[in-house]
Amino acid sequence: MKSTKIRRIVGFLAAGITFAVASPSLVFADDNILANADFGYGEYLSGECVTCHQQNGSNQGLPSITGLDAEGFAQIMLAYRSKELDNNVMQTVAGRLDDEQIASLAVYFASLPAEE
Amino acid sequence: MSQLSRRQFAGLLAGATGALAMPSLAFGAVPRVVVVGGGAGGATAARYIAKDSKGAINVTLVEASKQYYTCFFSNLYLGGFRDYGSIGHGYENLSSNHGVNVVHDWAASVDGSRKVLKLASGAELPYDRLVLSPGIDLNYESVPGYSAEAQTRMPHAWKSGTQVKVLRDQVMNMKQGGTFVMVAPPNPYRCPPGPYERVSMIAHTFSQVNPTAKIIILDPKEKFSKQGLFMAGWEKHYPGMIEWIDPATHGGILNVNAETMEIETDIDTFKADAASVIPGQRAGSIAMAAGVNDGSWCPIMPATMASKADPNIYVLGDASVAASMPKSGFSANSQAKVAANAIRGELTGSRVYEPRFANTCWSLIATNDGVKVGANYKAGAEKIDVVDKFVSQGGESDAVRKETYEESIGWYNGITADMFS
Repeated sequence: MKSTKIRRIVGFLAAGITFAVASPSLVFADDNILANADFGYGEYLSGECVTCHQQNGSNQGLPSITGLDAEGFAQIMLAYRSKELDNNVMQTVAGRLDDEQIASLAVYFASLPAEE
Repeated sequence: MSQLSRRQFAGLLAGATGALAMPSLAFGAVPRVVVVGGGAGGATAARYIAKDSKGAINVTLVEASKQYYTCFFSNLYLGGFRDYGSIGHGYENLSSNHGVNVVHDWAASVDGSRKVLKLASGAELPYDRLVLSPGIDLNYESVPGYSAEAQTRMPHAWKSGTQVKVLRDQVMNMKQGGTFVMVAPPNPYRCPPGPYERVSMIAHTFSQVNPTAKIIILDPKEKFSKQGLFMAGWEKHYPGMIEWIDPATHGGILNVNAETMEIETDIDTFKADAASVIPGQRAGSIAMAAGVNDGSWCPIMPATMASKADPNIYVLGDASVAASMPKSGFSANSQAKVAANAIRGELTGSRVYEPRFANTCWSLIATNDGVKVGANYKAGAEKIDVVDKFVSQGGESDAVRKETYEESIGWYNGITADMFS
């Protein structure tokens, strides 16, 4: 797991609460949080993300979200959904994503090359 | 949305449109999509249809300008936070990376029965689906005395481009201690917080080069977007410089005169040393020519952005009636992806997912003092409905406001990559 990179993105967005992603309350009910991932659906849903986060992974003002560990990506989205991570844009985005949608996004973005 | 309801949606849409798509598929012809307007709606639609159909749809983008200057962040140019070149973008990548056929010409008229777009050059572009994303035209007559001629001395600067440079020059060259007057537009209009971010950015410039200057806003509206945040910011950063005058106070804008630089209201005549007049607005003229408007704007089907007047024509962005979404570049970009998904489904039978919309409007009040308002949306039966929304709060820390500004820079880089890369 690329924990360094995930800590960096979480740290960028909400300095000081990076431990939240490891909190038991954030784990999916299903043991395998990526079990229901649908790659094609994730690609469609990614349209909402890439208005701000660049698909090619470049990081200019906002964190890169490509090439991350899928499970870590999903945990971060869960933390926004439960409002344990701050940022009202991300809380609103994550707030209407169900577990399948988060898993689908996680698997799709994990497949893209990481930032240079 | 649950997996079941998502797939139900796809099934319903495919069932409803499958018959329409059959002729072009049956004969093996590559279906044709023509997109008019290379802004946040049109460039995004062209890019997504071409990128995701991987050659299965022939995409043509009609845009008069070879270099597109974004309206969003043009205020930051007025404030000296961006140089003009940094808000300009070309269309080369849409051709080279995605095979979009980019035609630099004006769209002149639409023959909906023959499914043909006519260009100013006289050329005709046949289409299976037409996407209109023409942005706005200005109702000069909404402000008595204002006109296309008057805009040289009283620039609207509401379509970016050279008008923004004219306005910047007038701000920079205004006499010391002079008065700048902005006439704000009536609802509905492009970029609801835009006029007030503009005033903030001009005030920022004045605070550096003309600190005794005054700014007067004559507003036909009783209230405006993020009003409390802007007014608190003006008091904090530019105390005494900006005066907002509502219609109950000025009694109505009776006339503007670009020769004398006088703006006459019911209670007083204001003499401006520099001015910006932002008139009322309507859908871009090609939408009117296509006959897909109802009055000044174009009604759409919330689930697809297809015109209510012609199922082969889609209308995106400012020209559409997309309430509850505001007229913004972010909204247009979001709507374009919904339309692209629906159009690909109709023409190639690709999987159609449930429509999802989002918008955030960031505004800069002063150095590192950014605010935002946003929401996400779903397609309702009659209109696009809000799912959840947020807005910056008064009294936020300097760190939060700085982070909000930095976020807006990330968004600018992201959306322009999403349109032009």
